[in-house]
Amino acid sequence: MRAFDVFTAKDSRHAVALLAEHAATSKVKVLAGGTDLLADLKFASASHAPDVVVDISRIEDLRSIAVTGDGLSIGALVTHTEIMRSPLIRDMFPAMVNAAHTIGAVQTRNLGTLGGNLVTAVPSVDSGPTLVALDALVTVLGPAGRRQMPLAEFFVGPRKTALKPDELLLEILIPTTSLGKPTCFLKFGLRKGQALALVNVAASFWVDRARNAFVAPRIALGAVAPKVVHASTAEAYLEGRAIAPEAMVEAGRLAVGDAKPISDFRASAEYRRDLVAVLTRRALEGAYELAKAKQSEK
Amino acid sequence: MQVSMTVNGRVRKADVEPRLLLVHFLREHLLLTGAHVGCDTSQCGACTVIVDGRSAKACTMFAVQADGSTITTVEGLAANGQLHPVQEGFWDQHGLQCGYCTPGMIMSAVNLLQDTPHPTDRQIREGISGNFCRCTGYQHIVNAVRQAAGRR
Ligand SMILES: Cc1cc2nc3c(=O)[nH]c(=O)nc-3n(C[C@H](O)[C@H](O)[C@H](O)COP(=O)(O)OP(=O)(O)OC[C@H]3O[C@@H](n4cnc5c(N)ncnc54)[C@H](O)[C@@H]3O)c2cc1C
Ligand code: FES
Ligand code: FES
Repeated sequence: MRAFDVFTAKDSRHAVALLAEHAATSKVKVLAGGTDLLADLKFASASHAPDVVVDISRIEDLRSIAVTGDGLSIGALVTHTEIMRSPLIRDMFPAMVNAAHTIGAVQTRNLGTLGGNLVTAVPSVDSGPTLVALDALVTVLGPAGRRQMPLAEFFVGPRKTALKPDELLLEILIPTTSLGKPTCFLKFGLRKGQALALVNVAASFWVDRARNAFVAPRIALGAVAPKVVHASTAEAYLEGRAIAPEAMVEAGRLAVGDAKPISDFRASAEYRRDLVAVLTRRALEGAYELAKAKQSEK
Repeated sequence: MQVSMTVNGRVRKADVEPRLLLVHFLREHLLLTGAHVGCDTSQCGACTVIVDGRSAKACTMFAVQADGSTITTVEGLAANGQLHPVQEGFWDQHGLQCGYCTPGMIMSAVNLLQDTPHPTDRQIREGISGNFCRCTGYQHIVNAVRQAAGRR
């Protein structure tokens, strides 16, 4: 590994100041949990290796999980293990807990952060689909201040985000309109532990109780396009439609058309298309089970 | 860069390069060779140690990330000549053959039992899912952890 200088950021502003100062003249990288970054650094060619690393792992205010006036705010440094243990998230979004639980194995979840997962932005990013299905927003901080954008736009392509070199991801916000929305995440990998998703899917919708119909249905697909995508055709089909098993099957079939999978050493495109249909239907069923359970609690 | 951490109860200070991996710091600077390097890519778990109460792969952490931390390695488990219950379990149940994976397996098991004192077999298997063993076929390792948890 090539040598680099490391600077420890005291707070978010300090981190951005360090990034801005060094990004002008050298290649600079942020270090959170390091589970992705170290792999990159070990195998990076000399021309890609950073000269400066800004360690943000000690910034306390990026570790909080809290409901604010804007929704559920999750700090970028919250780890996958912390998501799995958070009473707030367990109660509101079991899908997020399930998604975190499928990432790597224990040691990687203990170090790996939600922010790092999203910034790495591989197409199979396991925390992506649930958050995209919940219309999550991300807040980033740069030298000119904060800006906010939908996570779906933050993702740009494979390992590409809208983040600039001198910007820091601060928080992930699930807006109030999505709080408690019944959501289900499913991942299909070749093993239970330490396996990337061949396909991962999240489905989320409200139930119009009077008509037992889908309201604001969202289906997000991972690992079947350059980035996490909405299954827009399937979503449009479900909007306002009566909830029924056939509708869920049809949504699965339509979602296949919204996916653009590739063949690689993990699976063929054809296999991935089959998975999209099955997982979409099952995720819709799962979200509906949750909706019914929530209703009977009341 | 100057780092200071408490390893197996002793404060250790050193001046290290930022790129030094924690596992190399432990093995080469502190001569604690229990944590092994198997894959060097965060897959096999042979390098697992406990950092501030949580298991971590020391091949995927810089020593500077552990500055100020409290670390337990397999060398720090036995106390007063008495093996840790997980070590006893591995001993009694033949939880190892070549032993390469063992320090990491043991640390993952210790981490599991600290969070889940009475795991089911499924939870045991999940608890060690970040650790690879090429010899035992895992069943003896599961038996070892089960014994340590007091469910023989
Ligand atoms: C063995 C193994 C198994 C894995 N399995 C899975 C899996 O099943 N599913 C999955 O989705 N992922 C998996 N991962 C990937 C990884 O663990 C996650 O992506 C993790 O969440 C990354 O977080 P981190 O804190 O470790 O990020 P880091 O490695 O610290 O950073 C990752 C990238 O994001 C940047 N960055 C981090 N935080 C910020 C921030 N706040 N602002 C700006 N930039 C930032 C860094 O510069 C770097 O480029 C696995 C990794 C390993 C090693
Ligand atoms: S050597 Fe660290 S996981 Fe294999
Ligand atoms: S005992 Fe040989 S690798 Fe596990």
